[in-house]
Amino acid sequence: MSSSIPSSAALKRERPPSATAEALRQAIRSPRVVIGGAIVLAMVICAVFAPQIAPNDPAEQDLLNMLLPPMWAEGGSIDYPFGTDSLGRCILSQMIFGARVALFVGFVAAIGATLLGTTLALISGYFGGWIDRVISHLVDLWMSLPPVVLSVTLMVGFGTGVGNVILSIVLVDWTRFCRVVRSEVMVVARKDFVSAAKLLGFGNVRIILREILPSVAPLIITLFTLQVGIGIIVEAILSFVGLSVPAGVPAWGQMIAQARNYMYQAPWGIILPIIAMFITVLGFNLLGEGLRVTLDPRLRKRNI
Amino acid sequence: MTDVLSFDNVTVTARMSGRSIDVLRDISFSLGQGDIVGLVGESGAGKSMIGRVISGLLPDNFSVSAGKVSFDGKNLLALGKSERRALLGRRIAFIPQEPLSALNPVRTIGSQFSEHLRHIGIERSRHRALMIERLTQVQLRNAEEALQRFPHELSGGQCQRVLIAMAFAGEPALVVADEPTTALDVMTQAHIVRLIAEQQKQHGTALLFITHDLRLAGHVCRNVGVMYAGDMVEFGPAASVLKAPSHPYTKSLLAAIPELTGPRRVLPALADHMPGLGTFAGLGGCRFSPRCATKDPSCIATRLPPRMVGAGHWVRCAERCEAAGNAQLGDLISLPASVADAPAAVAFDKVRLSYHASRGFLGLRRSRFDAVKSATFSVQEGEILGIVGESGSGKTSIGRLIVGLERPSAGMIRIHGQERTTGAVHLTHRDTQLIFQDPQSALNPRRSVMRLLTQALEVGESYVPESERRPVAEALLRDTGLPPDCLERFSSQLSGGQRQRVNIGRALGAKPKLIVADEIVSGLDVSVQAHILNCLLDLNRKHRLTMVFISHDLAVVRYLCSRILMMHAGEIVEEGPTEAVFSNPQHPYTKALLDAVPPDNADRPWPPVLATDSAMSALR
Repeated sequence: MSSSIPSSAALKRERPPSATAEALRQAIRSPRVVIGGAIVLAMVICAVFAPQIAPNDPAEQDLLNMLLPPMWAEGGSIDYPFGTDSLGRCILSQMIFGARVALFVGFVAAIGATLLGTTLALISGYFGGWIDRVISHLVDLWMSLPPVVLSVTLMVGFGTGVGNVILSIVLVDWTRFCRVVRSEVMVVARKDFVSAAKLLGFGNVRIILREILPSVAPLIITLFTLQVGIGIIVEAILSFVGLSVPAGVPAWGQMIAQARNYMYQAPWGIILPIIAMFITVLGFNLLGEGLRVTLDPRLRKRNI
Repeated sequence: MTDVLSFDNVTVTARMSGRSIDVLRDISFSLGQGDIVGLVGESGAGKSMIGRVISGLLPDNFSVSAGKVSFDGKNLLALGKSERRALLGRRIAFIPQEPLSALNPVRTIGSQFSEHLRHIGIERSRHRALMIERLTQVQLRNAEEALQRFPHELSGGQCQRVLIAMAFAGEPALVVADEPTTALDVMTQAHIVRLIAEQQKQHGTALLFITHDLRLAGHVCRNVGVMYAGDMVEFGPAASVLKAPSHPYTKSLLAAIPELTGPRRVLPALADHMPGLGTFAGLGGCRFSPRCATKDPSCIATRLPPRMVGAGHWVRCAERCEAAGNAQLGDLISLPASVADAPAAVAFDKVRLSYHASRGFLGLRRSRFDAVKSATFSVQEGEILGIVGESGSGKTSIGRLIVGLERPSAGMIRIHGQERTTGAVHLTHRDTQLIFQDPQSALNPRRSVMRLLTQALEVGESYVPESERRPVAEALLRDTGLPPDCLERFSSQLSGGQRQRVNIGRALGAKPKLIVADEIVSGLDVSVQAHILNCLLDLNRKHRLTMVFISHDLAVVRYLCSRILMMHAGEIVEEGPTEAVFSNPQHPYTKALLDAVPPDNADRPWPPVLATDSAMSALR
């Protein structure tokens, strides 16, 4: 439509904002980004300041007050706001400390998967040809393995521990990055500005870092955010089956596993960590989805 | 003659961030039965908005705030949604700009056509015969077979034929053709225009023909309305408007089109560009006044009523300004001194470029497609060589071969005496630059103009530390005629013409000796095109730049180039000095191509009669 072309004359007046500033301004206006960001921020604060926030030591056992209900229920105690578990440990404190493991695993695994997947995607999408075929076939092959079986197998091979949980998440989930980012890189690499950079004497590495990476960065940020949520769930699954953190360290999956035995007498023990996980993952998904919309110039609303 | 369609002081208002802006102001014209009215203007003039008023598909926040649109004696604006929808397709049909995107890619031509026939109320049993009849009428070969095809299996011209057949199938009273030939090649354009005219005559339909090409409108239409920034500034019989334009905008629009005959003169180019919607509010009077040569204070403040200047010919401009804007003839372009003895900047020797496609099981069957078949030519230093051809003729491939983005499958290329058959593009080819066709894709949206212009200084021997790049960028701004305040802007904040200048400036930043310009003015309005062409001529004179100018537009090539190559289906079919090729074309393809361009003189009959048809199809 000819008349809906943004008027350059109107834009001329004010000093144009940089692309990043504009994206940020857009992002702050999106309710998804604001709500998701607030949840994520709250969780990060819980994790970092866990010793200050938690009302009790999560490992301390109060054998006189086992399976106490939350404080608003009958028989609850103000000392244990969310009640206690079968060993008399404070559920709220465990949940707060559990956020540490969850977020640590989520973030580190997402960083690892992003680095591995994106690097391969950039190489594969930019160079094309046989390199692309090799990497793409590897991704296809990798993705045909069922992820849960693959990660459990990897865990059995590596042994338990948080480090190995992260490693197994990275090894399972890098393919997601590789596949999605690769197709975007291929689109950008075909743009004329990449050819123009070649003609100006830019080397391959410089073209990838200066011309292509900035264009696919919004996609990577979005995928990263979603991946943190996925990492948190996988960690919970693995700690549920006891393959993650050692017994003494509070983790949401472990809390669920222990509360499972008493779920008829004390259902809150299993419901509360699930809610914590649900809210955290929801926060990351909202943030990721919101960023996807606001950072993608194609989905951004045209301002006339 | 009764009016099929009439616009009566129609004003369309847009509400944007609390303000209301008149996107169209007081548009009045009427269209009788069997009449053809052309709406002409550059992008942003509001000509497509008129089509949207008729279809009722105005964008959100846009509404008709005053005036009356009557169709067949009914007030269109007063009709309910369903009544209006019932008119579309049956009584009012549209021929779109992009034939390929107007058809559903996953359904066959037959099923889409048949659905349309059902919509206009034709019994199913008659569909097939009717479709074949209509498709044959629009000269679609193998109409029966075409029904089984999907849109992507047909060419753009063929798809447009299908859409024309569909538009006229319901015997509508009015057909609105919105830039129906803009996306097509020159020769296809001639065909399509003639087809539309034939169908229009045959069915006695009223036709509203929207185009940016004043000359084309002059040949097709009886009456022409010239649009500028939402105003109709001039309206009258086509011959009268083209021969005796009265509005300064019409005059400058006509003057900015390079001609196919006569002496070559420097094109007068209007300063600045058409105002955007955001600035309409500040232009209470004549919206053209800021660019007008006279700038009469009376028309800046108030809008003048239409003034009759001839039979049925009116203009919104003061009488005392009549003389103003009469384009003085530009200076004659001095052709560069003979360059025949200059050393060759580019020498192609039997160069072939083939693409291979793997087909069949496991890609075992391979097929070859020659984009360029054995090309031999040379470009002398300091000259501007034009390469002309239709889409798919291989002209872009030649450009990419010259700069080294493609490597020849056979033959030899020498650039400045250096053999360039092998080797990577990077770091070796900086002295040959390519200006890409589409600045939208050629400019990294994440770089500011400053960083785009100085991109060449970031690497290699010409590396300049970031703090010292500004003067270079400023010099390039001056060279390309960009305003000095746009260094910090991003390409999305520039107009189309400015973007193309940045595109040129970036290539110049590498200090090239040879520039290949690939269709760089094809997406631009004529007044912007005139600017860019003059800028290129200037650069050629000042820096003695060698240029290869690739285009499908013969008039533009004639304006710029001293020598031209004619390409057809991967082969160079004709080569010679521009004037010689234009005045005495040898190859039948060149002749056909020259015939297909709407001539400067509106009295010459155009589009050409069917005789050339067989000649053209013989070439395909």
